[in-house]
Amino acid sequence: MNKPIPEKTHYHSTMSRRDFMKMLGLGAGAVGLGAAGCSTSFKDLDEMMDSPLAERKLPFWVKEIDEPTVQIDWDNMEIFPSAFNTLFNPMSWDDPSEYMKIVDRNIESTKQQIKDNVPGYSLRDRAMADANTWGWAPESDVAPSWTGPDVKPSKWEHPTVFYTPEDYGVPRYEGTPEENSRMLRVAGRVMGAAELGFVKLDGKTKKLLYGNIRFENVEQGYEADKFTYVLPDKDLWVICAVIPQSLWAAQYIDRMSWASSNTAAYSRANIYSNRIKVFLRGLGYQHYGGTTGTVGRAVGFGVMAGLAEYCRAGLMVSPQFGMNIRTVMLTVTDLPLAVTKPIDAGIINFCKVCRKCAEMCPAGAIPMEDEPFWGGDAPYQAKGIKGWYQAGKKCYEYMLGGEPDCSRCQSVCPFTKFDQAVMHDLVRMSIATTPALNGILRKMDDVFGYGKEPDPNKTPWDVDPMDIPLFGLDSSRS
Amino acid sequence: MRLASWNWFWYVLVGFLMGGGTIYLWHILKEKHIKLVWYEWILTILSFVIFLFMWQTFIASFGEGEPRAAWLTLVFLGVPIIIMAVVTVRSIQTRLRRT
Repeated sequence: MNKPIPEKTHYHSTMSRRDFMKMLGLGAGAVGLGAAGCSTSFKDLDEMMDSPLAERKLPFWVKEIDEPTVQIDWDNMEIFPSAFNTLFNPMSWDDPSEYMKIVDRNIESTKQQIKDNVPGYSLRDRAMADANTWGWAPESDVAPSWTGPDVKPSKWEHPTVFYTPEDYGVPRYEGTPEENSRMLRVAGRVMGAAELGFVKLDGKTKKLLYGNIRFENVEQGYEADKFTYVLPDKDLWVICAVIPQSLWAAQYIDRMSWASSNTAAYSRANIYSNRIKVFLRGLGYQHYGGTTGTVGRAVGFGVMAGLAEYCRAGLMVSPQFGMNIRTVMLTVTDLPLAVTKPIDAGIINFCKVCRKCAEMCPAGAIPMEDEPFWGGDAPYQAKGIKGWYQAGKKCYEYMLGGEPDCSRCQSVCPFTKFDQAVMHDLVRMSIATTPALNGILRKMDDVFGYGKEPDPNKTPWDVDPMDIPLFGLDSSRS
Repeated sequence: MRLASWNWFWYVLVGFLMGGGTIYLWHILKEKHIKLVWYEWILTILSFVIFLFMWQTFIASFGEGEPRAAWLTLVFLGVPIIIMAVVTVRSIQTRLRRT
């Protein structure tokens, strides 16, 4: 039910101790430590929505713009056929046996590292990685289906769990697009999305959907077969959710093998996706989208939703999370939403002079060209954007061929930082407002020792368990 | 890495030091009837602000597991603070000597 939002003069504090310290400065911050350390408490979702933090809060140096900073040729943009056309599918390789050789090398290398008890790759490290990997990929037990989980009310305990508005005998939830967006931002955070953006599907943005999705004049979408999905031909929006990966784990082994911080993030993404669909179902609205490879291009939607800017590595850099975004989980709905615009935080201009990801890519897969270019000629790419096109095969060969799960480009990006030092915000502010200093800032990032390869002898197994943020997610940014 | 786990202590410490230092400075100025001119005020306040910023970055960088960044911050921001402090003190001394 849509309740009118009451006028409020006082809000509950959702400010972290760190934010408070930043705001007040050090001396005064110490005095206020006790007061601000109190935990947040909201009585209900309406009260959470009233919080000013439920609005999209961009730092003042991040501008909202109509067109993204990466140049897009919408007229000639190619629709990417499906996730099955990426290099993760051996059939996308000219020679599939080449892929299988890489896989064999991966197995051999992993076995050898376990036998040699290599720090970060030992048996207990692998077991930890496997545990965190549970729940990822389309084959997993929690993989969301196209039309959402098949939930049913229980006859015994909590009998009204999974009721729909019809079950309650009430009309579906109604709110303005702005109220709906704000509601989803609150719900998304609770369910595991670090940030949410919203894109309306129109003539342009439909090109970001995978080619195995078609529109039909039907009331409800459905899964036509294992590889074909149907959306109803009506007004639809895409909920784009940032799923971050553990930056905390990256300080030990930035190749993400330890604790599988990348696959763990996919697992959380699947759980989030199921939950947001159950939420939409409970409100009385439609919801579509499976795993990360089902709806469309995560980077494209993330950029259009203003969650990040396109970057040199062909991925996304967010002003808040840097490149440490594992995926943007996409959910299609008919709940009317207020769209979020693309952003300009000076990131793509910084990428032009920085090149740190390209220099430190162990596979040499990231282009070094100053300027982005029109590309997308390879079968596993699509034309339509003026970007930096990765040599995908080099990346995959390295990532899967013996040093599993490399995410070095994400770890070394100067935007990928913990959020404790105020200095980082000043640097981001400078990048957004004074591009002439970009070259110096990149050099300073090196001089100050950021983005270096972690010390292999530094092991997370020796850390005080209570110093580990829950789920391994750094509390600062996620 | 205990420095990181105890970083609240370092913030409290610097709070007390800054507060105490300000009160002490205020008393000295009052007791010796020293009046600062406008640029001495600017330099003093700027030194305090940069010191706070330096201290926050120093402690936070340890918390982020970046000791090199922490120590280099001391150098990059500590040197200007020392220069500003010396310039301010010399300026006051010169002025007092003249009068």
